[in-house]
Amino acid sequence: MNRQASHKWLWIDPRTKILLLLICVIAAAMAPNLTYEMGLVLLIACFALASGKVRLAIGGAIGYAFFYAISMFVMVYASETLQASLLAFLGLVHKIYLCGFMGGIIISTTKISEFLSAMNKLHAPKSLTIPLAIMLRYIPTIQEDWHFIKDAMRLRDVSPSLEGILFRPAMTLECIYAPLLMAASKASDELSIASVTRGIENPLSRTCYVDIRFHFTDVLVVVCFLAYVVIGRFL
Amino acid sequence: MDTQKKGLTVKDLVTTGIFSALLYIATQIGGIPFGMNPATTFYIPVGAAILAGPIYLLLIAKVPKRGPLTIAGILLGIIYFVMGMHWAMDLGIVIGGILGDIIAGSKEYRNVKANIAAYAVQCLGFTGSYIVFEIDPKAWAASMLESGNATEGYLDTMMSAYSPMTLVLMFGGTIIVAALSGWAGKKLLVKQFEKAGITA
Amino acid sequence: MIRFENVSFSYEGNEQEGLEPVDLTIKDGECILLCGRSGCGKTTFTRLINGLIPNFFPGKLHGRVIVNDMVISETPMYQIAGQVGSVFQNPRTQFFNTDTDSEIAFGIENAALPFGELHQRVEQTEKDLHIEKLSQRSIFELSGGEKQKIAFASVYAMNPDIYLLDEPSSNLDMDAIIELKKTLQLLKRQGKTILVAEHRLYYLMDIIDRAFYFEQGRLKKIYSPHELMALTQQQREKMGLRATDLRAAEPSWHQIRSAGATLELKNVNLNYKKQRILENINLSVKGGEVIGIVGHNGAGKTTFSRAICGLHKEMDGKVLINGTVQSRKALRKHSYLVMQDVNYELFAESVEQESTFGIKNPDTELAKATLEELDLARFSQWHPNTLSGGQKQRLAVAVSMICHKDILVFDEPTSGLDFDNMLRVAQLIKRLAQMGKVVFVATHDYEFVCRACNCILHLDENKLVESYPICVEHEAQLKKSFAIT
Repeated sequence: MNRQASHKWLWIDPRTKILLLLICVIAAAMAPNLTYEMGLVLLIACFALASGKVRLAIGGAIGYAFFYAISMFVMVYASETLQASLLAFLGLVHKIYLCGFMGGIIISTTKISEFLSAMNKLHAPKSLTIPLAIMLRYIPTIQEDWHFIKDAMRLRDVSPSLEGILFRPAMTLECIYAPLLMAASKASDELSIASVTRGIENPLSRTCYVDIRFHFTDVLVVVCFLAYVVIGRFL
Repeated sequence: MDTQKKGLTVKDLVTTGIFSALLYIATQIGGIPFGMNPATTFYIPVGAAILAGPIYLLLIAKVPKRGPLTIAGILLGIIYFVMGMHWAMDLGIVIGGILGDIIAGSKEYRNVKANIAAYAVQCLGFTGSYIVFEIDPKAWAASMLESGNATEGYLDTMMSAYSPMTLVLMFGGTIIVAALSGWAGKKLLVKQFEKAGITA
Repeated sequence: MIRFENVSFSYEGNEQEGLEPVDLTIKDGECILLCGRSGCGKTTFTRLINGLIPNFFPGKLHGRVIVNDMVISETPMYQIAGQVGSVFQNPRTQFFNTDTDSEIAFGIENAALPFGELHQRVEQTEKDLHIEKLSQRSIFELSGGEKQKIAFASVYAMNPDIYLLDEPSSNLDMDAIIELKKTLQLLKRQGKTILVAEHRLYYLMDIIDRAFYFEQGRLKKIYSPHELMALTQQQREKMGLRATDLRAAEPSWHQIRSAGATLELKNVNLNYKKQRILENINLSVKGGEVIGIVGHNGAGKTTFSRAICGLHKEMDGKVLINGTVQSRKALRKHSYLVMQDVNYELFAESVEQESTFGIKNPDTELAKATLEELDLARFSQWHPNTLSGGQKQRLAVAVSMICHKDILVFDEPTSGLDFDNMLRVAQLIKRLAQMGKVVFVATHDYEFVCRACNCILHLDENKLVESYPICVEHEAQLKKSFAIT
């Protein structure tokens, strides 16, 4: 019956994922030291592995190890001026890395429809969920548009590159903005027509084809993360 | 018929969604090159402001009503949050969106200067994380790197490296770049989009 | 039942377009063809039924449209949506979701059907329309024809009594049109009322009960299919209508006056994301030839077109112009692609500016003469976006002429064009050939091929299946390429 039911890998509710992200934000903000942070990165990597994102898990862990090593190296060996300029950067990296890693996993494991269903269950108003759905749906379309525009520019001998922007900025930017925004404007007309004729203005609260609900695994994953965040501080 | 006068129509919401997608892509393309480089990482907000001006101004021109700018700010905040950006930046973007809506709305969304100012405020939202970071970088360095051997001398050097100058450059740069981008947007609006008949 | 009680309408800010008074009744289960030139009022007619007029397009409305006891102008859109389903022309911008199943469920989600029923309906829809293999796919990897099917499925799932289709065939290849026809027959068996606004008529002839012919905002005449079929070719073309029977369309064999450049392809292989799209293409064409590129959607026509223009990266083999090997960059200097959606290649703020845009030392005399020749001079101060589809296309062609391009590639130049505009494109292409240009046309349009092309390049299954000149000996082959029996 429910075709979403068969999940080979760990599958948790998008709302749980948002909660995990929040936990990561708090943990990253209050991390007492780098070792603790590294442990959290490993835990996130385990979560990625369980979700079936092997590459992301390995890449994320190795990337962190790299920054960890650099931080250590800079602390011990670099000259003071170099330390100063690099550490500001590394400080930000460490603050952002955890959440970025978690965010990457969330994005790659959540379908847009699941995400919308979650927003629906959180009783977000339509004036927010409709634009949100459209935004997520339109991002790949921008990429498609860009390919067409790039072709068109090349045939007119306008280079769609950084070089073009630097040497003929006004013309190059106009070449990008004019068709891109014209297409966006047309798309907004057509999309709104296609949605009003399919009853989007119905005042009833809409139902969702993709059903999401909490399972035991959700609790388990949250407990794991919470346990580390709390207990890790005392290790 | 009366739906056309009050509140946001479906078309307004769809337009807001599409332009939020464009704003997201434009701020990201502008910001990433700065974020990749240790020397410029503090200037991500400046980068984010470069490209999005024309999009922001066209959004206002298409839906000159209360709401779309706030919604766009919230959507950008949500997507940057899920992408794992620092929470203070996301919060800053949302606040920037609300303030932008108020500023542009004070002149009924028809005044170019107010609209450009709204855009600048939206861009300043991207500085949220740096404000939080600036508050206490010393504590961060001291606590995070306790396993290393951060000397007092080092910390002093670090503090002087991003003196208030960094902050001034970041804020000032963002405002100037946003104003330029908004100005370019206004030019495009007059030159292209009004003539093309796609504004409200 | 649909009842028009003396209905007339004019758009706000554009009084010319609209509809003059109409009074008629469409019975349940009828299938109606709405035909006529672009801008004749047939789209306005559909908008009066699905409520887009006056809810979305404001203007002056007189009379009442009544659909199943609802007075359309007094009923909110979401209530109309349950009984009148609309499928639009460009499926690319109709989607709300990024995966197929959610998109099919979109309408019934809005109607707040309970979860179990949503799934049951989606499954039933996929079964009825034979699109099970499209289930759980990303919208962005579907072909134009598949997108059209999903857009249709989303309406079908809502189970409306009345279906409105606006040029459903414009993005479809011949096989997909046959499938569309089967779908319409299914609706007919279910007793649904169907209204199709369409330029291509041939596939509808044995489905429709009546045809409404519109001219300049007026419902001019109502034909039975027999009467429509009985029109002579001359009468029909004067009315601006396309062929009612493709078997009767004869290719016109026009002589090739070879002149100008020669283009050769030697052992060309094309890949996309490391997957072979087309292999081992050998070809030699001369200026003055008009080569129709035919084949199914997804057969590699677009990739091939982009490759000829030097836009496709993953390519090996050689491309020669006048015997010298060309780099991709050099190829781009010689060639021009008139895209299916020409909006992407119009950049400037006026037609005049557009004609010399990006050229360092523009030849303004040539630009002027070209605009004049293509009947664009009187729009020279207009913004390109305010032109009609056919005019935009001509502007793109004008640009290529002003840039002195020798090789022109058209991608589906006649999709969504009425007879007059199709004819005009065919004449324009012949003119380009006379000037000694090499012209490629990727198309599904048999009538158009008959009028414009003198060679055929048939691509399918990653190969160049065959290439032949259009002449009496090859007529059977040509018809086979277009699945006309």
